[in-house]
Amino acid sequence: MSHADLAAGKVIRMSLLFRIQHLLLTVLLTVLAVTGFALMYHGNSLAQWLIRLEGGVQNRGIVHRVAAVLLMANLVYHAFYMLFSREGKPELRQLFFTKRDFDDFFQSLRYNLGTAKEYPRFGKYGYKEKFQYWGATGGVLLIAMSGFMLWAEEFSMLFFPKFVLDLALIIHGYQGLLGFVLLYLWHIYNVHLHPSVFPMNPSWITGKVSAEWLRREHPLEYEKLKGEGLL
Amino acid sequence: MRKFALTAILVFLGGAFLPGLAPRDASASISLEKCTLCHGKPEFRKLLVDGQIRDLFATGDTLAGSVHGKKVCTDCHFDVSEIPHRERPKRVTCTHCHFKGNHEGAPQSDNVLAYFDSAHGKAIARGNTKAPLCQDCHGSHAILKAKDPGSKVARGNVAETCGKCHMEIYAQFKGSIHGTALAKGIAEVPSCPGCHGEHRIYSRNDPKSTIYSTHVSEQCSKCHSSIKIMGKFGIETEQVATYKESFHGVANQFGSRTVANCSSCHGVHDIRPPDDPLSMVNPKNVPKTCGKCHPGANPNFAVGKIHVDAKKKESGIIYWTATFFKWLTICTMLALVAHIFLDMYGRTRRLRGER
Repeated sequence: MSHADLAAGKVIRMSLLFRIQHLLLTVLLTVLAVTGFALMYHGNSLAQWLIRLEGGVQNRGIVHRVAAVLLMANLVYHAFYMLFSREGKPELRQLFFTKRDFDDFFQSLRYNLGTAKEYPRFGKYGYKEKFQYWGATGGVLLIAMSGFMLWAEEFSMLFFPKFVLDLALIIHGYQGLLGFVLLYLWHIYNVHLHPSVFPMNPSWITGKVSAEWLRREHPLEYEKLKGEGLL
Repeated sequence: MRKFALTAILVFLGGAFLPGLAPRDASASISLEKCTLCHGKPEFRKLLVDGQIRDLFATGDTLAGSVHGKKVCTDCHFDVSEIPHRERPKRVTCTHCHFKGNHEGAPQSDNVLAYFDSAHGKAIARGNTKAPLCQDCHGSHAILKAKDPGSKVARGNVAETCGKCHMEIYAQFKGSIHGTALAKGIAEVPSCPGCHGEHRIYSRNDPKSTIYSTHVSEQCSKCHSSIKIMGKFGIETEQVATYKESFHGVANQFGSRTVANCSSCHGVHDIRPPDDPLSMVNPKNVPKTCGKCHPGANPNFAVGKIHVDAKKKESGIIYWTATFFKWLTICTMLALVAHIFLDMYGRTRRLRGER
């Protein structure tokens, strides 16, 4: 962290590489959702307009698959980065669910309902961030697997009967919908609509958050940085 | 004997006086007699170049009972003026009378215009002498109204009429479920015009055609999505709806011409019920049928319902998975909305506390 940042009370929350991965994820998920839901709800007039915009069903499929392959590349890169890089390894360690997250969740519920006095104190990633991260990862993996099965349908049918592919189609579509709902209700709330960040948490562009925000929302991380003399 | 004599006298008198009672153009009635001089002989026929025999036998009774019962030879063969004919009389042009606004009292419709636009009419216009004119389907002398069961274009006969030229297809059709049902006299089953249209018959590559690849499902659905019709035969009606929800159906609706439509899998003229071993959709034949487009298709293609509807309980695991996801999504949404509102409420409390 530069001295200018420190002077301005800014703390780095997302490094450049993470921001690039996040931006790719945002763009690719949007493309996948737009092309995917257009097919899922093909009877809808907006969907039909979108399919025509995407150049017909054939081209829609190509766009969807190109975006999917890029997303997979992004995911594989991210996995390697989290498992083996100097920056990624500690991040991954902080992202694992612990018993504390469950306690935090129930404590926050109790606090919000008015039966607990203290709001839980989060580290760099609270239960909200962890749920978002693992939910998205699991969802994307499930969609990716069923998607590849449907893409290589002749290959899949060498091993699976027809109804398994029907199942894959159902999972692909509905998991996509579930992921979309989660993304909108959870992520948009946490990083856009939440009173502490409204209208937007800027860290996905600038990579930085204010130290004051960190002290309020992630006090343990704030204290850790302070203890390390970084603030 | 007296009875016979009386009849003979009556017939004679009738023959002598009736033309006078119902006066008719003198030249026409004479020409009928002139025509039958030659054409009235049963053995009057011509050997054609290709070895076929053209029967030229026709008498005053030939038109009797047909819709043209009151017409005479030259009403249609109006180009005949000399005997013997110097050149071969032309084929009869029905539009001589059958056009809109005619004064002959001939039925008036646009069918003739539709015919000229059809595959048959265009083939004629290109000079294909084998293509059918009106009389090739409706009959030449023994024309009856289409509703008359004896008509060549009546429901029970039209397939045979088409089959005169389309022989192979007729043979396939006769063995198909539609053909056998037609032979049983089932009223709802389609004969050729049921799918192809009557006068508006177009090539399957013509986008106007009812059997153009993107129109096939719509054409089949006219009967196959009707509970009223299909209920009589115990056939499911949601096949067209489930097709339209499938990958094949969606691509088809958006104009793909290579994707499978109903007839790609079920056959065209040789459609048979799935339990028929010759049916293209018999589980034993499914790999071969799917293999037309999906190289290397194996018996896995036949395991599981093809026309599957995730909204129906009969679909088993597909239905339960879809239902699970539906409720998972609904519950997740509700839980998240509840959490968001609680969180906002708690946040306000926290802010108040800090102040």
